[in-house]
Order: sequence, then C-alpha cells, then structure tokens
Amino acid sequence: MGSRKMYIFGMLVVPVFMAFFFLDLLSPGLPNRVPTAVVDLDHSTMSRTVTRSLEALQVLDLSERCESYDQALERVRQGKIFGFFVIPADFEKNALSGNEPTLEYYSNMTYFVPGTLAFKGFKTVAVATSGGVVQQTLVSLGATPGQVAALVQPLSLDVYGLNNPWMSYSIYLCPSFTMATFVLMIMLMTVFSITIEIKEGTSPQWLATSHGSILVAVASKLLPQTVIFAAVGIFIQWLFFGLSHFPLNGSLGWMIVATLLTVVASQGVGLFVSSVVPNPRLAFSLTALFGILSFSFTGFSFPVESMYGWLGIFSYLAPIRYWFLIYINEALNGVGLYYSRYYFVALIVLPLVACTLLRRLRSACLKPVYVP
Amino acid sequence: MGRVFRNEFRLMLHDAGVLLFFVALPLLYPIVYTLIYNPEVLRKLPVAVVDDSRTAQSRELVRRASASPSLEIYAYCADMPEAKRLMAEKKVFGVMQIPYDYAEKLGNGEVAHVSFYSDMSLLLRYRTFVAALTDLQIDVIQDITGEKISALGLESLAGDMKAPIASEAQMLGDTEQGFASFVIPGIVILILQQSMLLGICLLGGTSRERRSRNGGIDPQEVNAPVTATVWGRALAYTVFYFPMTIYILRFIPEIFNLPHYGNPVDYLLFILPMLLATAFLGQALNYFMKERESCFIFIVFSSVLFLFLSGLTWPRYAMSDLWVWIGNCIPAVWGVEGFIRINSNSATLPEVGTAFTAMWILALVYMLLAQWVTKYIRISNYGRNKELS
Repeated sequence: MGSRKMYIFGMLVVPVFMAFFFLDLLSPGLPNRVPTAVVDLDHSTMSRTVTRSLEALQVLDLSERCESYDQALERVRQGKIFGFFVIPADFEKNALSGNEPTLEYYSNMTYFVPGTLAFKGFKTVAVATSGGVVQQTLVSLGATPGQVAALVQPLSLDVYGLNNPWMSYSIYLCPSFTMATFVLMIMLMTVFSITIEIKEGTSPQWLATSHGSILVAVASKLLPQTVIFAAVGIFIQWLFFGLSHFPLNGSLGWMIVATLLTVVASQGVGLFVSSVVPNPRLAFSLTALFGILSFSFTGFSFPVESMYGWLGIFSYLAPIRYWFLIYINEALNGVGLYYSRYYFVALIVLPLVACTLLRRLRSACLKPVYVP
Repeated sequence: MGRVFRNEFRLMLHDAGVLLFFVALPLLYPIVYTLIYNPEVLRKLPVAVVDDSRTAQSRELVRRASASPSLEIYAYCADMPEAKRLMAEKKVFGVMQIPYDYAEKLGNGEVAHVSFYSDMSLLLRYRTFVAALTDLQIDVIQDITGEKISALGLESLAGDMKAPIASEAQMLGDTEQGFASFVIPGIVILILQQSMLLGICLLGGTSRERRSRNGGIDPQEVNAPVTATVWGRALAYTVFYFPMTIYILRFIPEIFNLPHYGNPVDYLLFILPMLLATAFLGQALNYFMKERESCFIFIVFSSVLFLFLSGLTWPRYAMSDLWVWIGNCIPAVWGVEGFIRINSNSATLPEVGTAFTAMWILALVYMLLAQWVTKYIRISNYGRNKELS
C-alpha cells in the first residue's frame, strides 16, 4: 500500500504540482515594483522632480523616504528595500551653478534580479536628470532641439531580446526547471521500482516470471511507467504551449517527440545507475546527487561554456540538457530541426547505453543482496 | 533524554546512509556548487557583426566593442541570414547590426541607431550584453560629443557638456556581481536543511521498517517518554550539525573568496533556531516515511521547491500570498534571507530579527507536531500489528 502511494506521488503528484508551481510563481514575468527608497538631502524643486521621476517608474516601488544614507543602508540590511537613490545636499544649487553634484544610487546585488532591476530604474533617472539639465543649458544658449538631441545622445545602441522581448522570467525558467524536476522524478522512480525487487529479495521471482530474460523483465516493468510519464510529459507541454502561450516558433510535434525521448532517456539513466550499483541506497543517492546537480551543470542559469571544462562533461550525461537545447532551438528560436539533430541522437543513444549493462543487473537480481 | 541523545548518536554513526547525508553531503555539495559557478561572470561572449556601413566610424565602433572583456567578435557576416545561421549553430549569442547610414547620421548631427540582437536562452547572457553595450554607448557618446561641440563651434559649452550632474552606481553586497557570490550563500543554507531532513527521514524510515518487522516495536529505540524522545533526537542532530555549520558558513565563503562580511557570532546564533526547527520538522515528516527509501521520493525534489520559495531567484515581494505563506513555514526560507543579509550585507542579528523570531516559532510548532507524530507512530503501528497477530 505504502509503495503504491509512493508511485502516485512520485510519478504524478510531484511533476504536475511542480509544473503548476513554476507557472504560477513566475506568472508576472518580471518582478517589477522593486521596494526601494530615496534619500533626499536637498529638499529642493529639482530634487522633488527627481523623486517624482523615480516614483513614475514601473520597475520601482519607491516605498520609503529615508533621512540619511545610514538609515537607508539599515533598511537594506533589514531586507525592507533592495536599493536607494541619494540626492546630495545643495544638489539644485550646484547643478545650476555648474559645480557638478553627484547623484549616487545603491543596488543590493545579493539578490540578483531585484538588484538589477533597481539599478536599471535608478540609472534611467540619473541619466535623464543629467540629460535634462544639459538640454536646458543648450536651449538657453540658442541650440536647436535637433542639435540638442544629437549632442546629448548621438548614438543609440538598442538591444533586442530575441523571441522573449518581455524578458519574461516565466518563459525563461518554467520550461527548464519544470522538466528538470520531471526528469529527476523519472530517474528516482525508475531506481525505486528496480531496486525494491532486490531489497525485498523478490528479484529472482521477477526474473522467473519473464522466463529468465532480464530484457523482458525490465521492459514489462518500465514500459507501463513510460506510458504514464509520457502522458504527464505531454500534459506539461500543453501547460507550456497551450495554456501559457509560451513562444512556439517551431514544431509542437518535435517538442513532443523530444519529450517522449527524454522520458525514455531518463528511465535509461535510472536503469543504468541501478545496474552499476544494484543497491537501493547507493543507487538512490547517486541518482539524487546527479539529478539535483543537473539543475546547475546543465546550464539553465550559468552557461556550460563558461564553466570549468571538466564540469561541462557531466552536462552531456543529463537527458534534460538535450531537452533544454531542443526547446531553445525548436520552441524558443524556431531554427529548424537540422540544428537539433545531435540532441535527438543523444537522447536515443542514452537508453541504449543503459541496456548494455542489463547482464550485470541480471546477475544482481539472481542473487539479491540488500545492504541497508 | 540523555539516553535518547546517546542512542540517536549511535544510530547515526552506524548507518552509512545517514553519514552520507549528514557528513558527505554538507561537506562536498558546497564545494561542487561553488566550482560550477566559480567563474562568476561571463567573459568573451561570442558576437557576430553585420556591418552595412563599412566606414571608418563603424569599424571604430566594432573595435571598441571587441575591447570589452565581456564581448568577443566571433565573425563578420555579409548579411543577417548568415549571422542568424551562426546563432542557430550556437557559435554566437548576439548579433550587432550597424546600418548603412551609420556614419552619415553621425556626420549630419543626427541620432545614429545600432541594433543588437541577443539570444534569450539564458538571461545572464542578455544581462551581460546589456551591461557591456551600455558602457560602450557611453564611451562612444563621450568622444562623439566632444568632437561635435568643436565642429559646431560651441567650445564655450564644453564645460557644461561634460555632465553637469555626475552619477555613480554602487553595488551593495555582491560588489563584483559574480554569480557564485550571489547564489552560494543561499544554496549552502538549503544544503544544511535538506541534508539534515534527508538524514532524519532515512533514520525514521528505517525505524518504521524495524517496527513493522517486530510487531510495532522498534528494538533499537530507547524506551522514553515522547517529549524526551523528540528533544533528545533533535539535540543529537543539532549538536552533530554544529561542526558542519561552522565549516559551511564560516569557511566555504572564505575559501572561495565569496562575500563574507558578517560577524560569525551573529550568523551562528542566527542559524541555531533553523537547525532546531529542521530537526523537529524532520521528525514530523517521519509521518510519511514508511520505508527507508521514502525520503528520496519525498525530500529530494523539495530542494528545488524551497530554493524558489526562498526568493533567491524570484524575489518574495513578487510572490502571491499563497507562496509567501508556504515559504514562511520552511525554516530555510528564513535562514537563506537572514544569512545572506548577515553574510553579504553585514547585517547584525537584531536587523534580521524577524527571520530569527520566525524560525523560533517554527521550531516550537514543529516540536509539537513531531511529538504528535512520534506518539502516532508508536500507537498506530503497535495497534495494527496486534490486530494482525
């Protein structure tokens, strides 16, 4: 009974729950309205204009007014704000008399995303304030508006994010993290269902019902699971591309094929580990270690090519790496199947490699030894 | 309670699986994680250039771009389709397109537009491109403006043009904006909690197996009242974890030169209620651990869940109330927040008082829950097995 609950939990509940979790958590796309503060030491017309510009930004939530730098820093340490903007004393006076006052802004980079957003908002206002004063000066000196624009910003370097112009974190993180959790659970459940036979000493019977063929035994055990995982996998694809309208610039068909191959490849990795170490604890530990680390070394957030070379090797053993690359090519960028050919091949090769060790698993099954 | 404490220590030390979780995992995981992210920042991101202007000015722009440590000009392409092909092959992650009228517009005193197309498979690349190109733009603008002012005969203005208002950006905490410096202080706290939960649940599942084999009684268990049992175990785990905690919080940041501005007294005192709350939470979770291997299915995936609930990737202020409240129930969510502030922003213990108090409350709640679960496991197994026999 306990086992059956565990199968339902591991095969259905966790993957589906985690998919909904990521989709719901990240649904705003960008965590705008970063809590921030302004430290206005000038209290002039100009400083109030700067404050209003900060308030007007969608990316910031200028939730606090602080009296001093120290007070603002304390609010950062308390976690109430993620950055603050300091308008120095005599700001207006110095700006108008050409004494070059300095606007300082502080962004807390211990939290990357809000820190970066705060930085972006602050910078926009600092640049605009500076530019505004230059414009005023130039116009008052008789320059035409056209000349002014070209003088203030003669070059505009516009960066476009391809296929995710909204910088949506949902589009960026949901597919990779949901599928990586799914793959982790497939590997763990495969290890669980194979090694439990060895643990309970029922593996000789298991082989006997398959007339001694380990291939038949493994296939008859894992194929029903393949069907369930495949259904869950396709459901998850529907959540991405159907329900959430994530970019799908290529073919849905190939995404589904990739997902099905990823399911089988993940089962293959589970089978491989169970064959190498036919001991529940070691097999589980290795799979969990590999599965959890694969969130990092497959490069969803920090690219593989920037890692130390030898770490990158591990990424090629993880089925999720290939799914991720196919997703980038097929769904996000829609660049055509040709560019994903090797990834598909890798997903096919992985389970075949696992099958080469079946003989080893067979002898382990014939003489089950349970080491707790 | 003393007997439970000693007995639990004996059980931990005689179980290779538990030692793997309690010792090997906290010892090695922080090192592995830091090695993965240790390069910190992206350098020399390959870029393709489509130069439709082909002038001295456009070449100058490309030359300056290639001087940026973040960028590397991988290839010059004849047209956009060629550049896109390189992108599809993942040879380049960005394309800079300089329009045919680039030099002309600069010369005429108009605004020249240059487009940069960034691959969006990883936001870190996009972020690196934006930062590098913003610097490039400011750099180029300064020179052009200087030249133009003389060309327009407005030399008298040069003083005013040189930014009448200066601005200065300061980064707090992770001053170099390195990836390891940002992510590791949070991850190590999660490692502490998750490895402890795994170990406790492994012990719990094993004890349940012994129970079901021995008519509802675990022969390895000390016969002690529920409260003494729960406390004795919790203290055993917490004491056992102290050396690990010092290693993880004190030495890992120092070894890898990550930010470590906090006062050790502050963060070690701060983390105490998290360890206790986790020790009780683990015992409460034993409700679900019917077998030795259950912990792998129930606990491993939750690391990903807790990582996100902690707000390290997606800030907590942007979460819906539901996720904030679920996060509030996880000791490490408070632990991550408080430790990062102490470690990277040099906050003091009173400044992270909310998190500190919250973890003590969680410790209390999970203690009560753990007592109830311990009682339940003793009674239900015993009762069921009596029925069977």
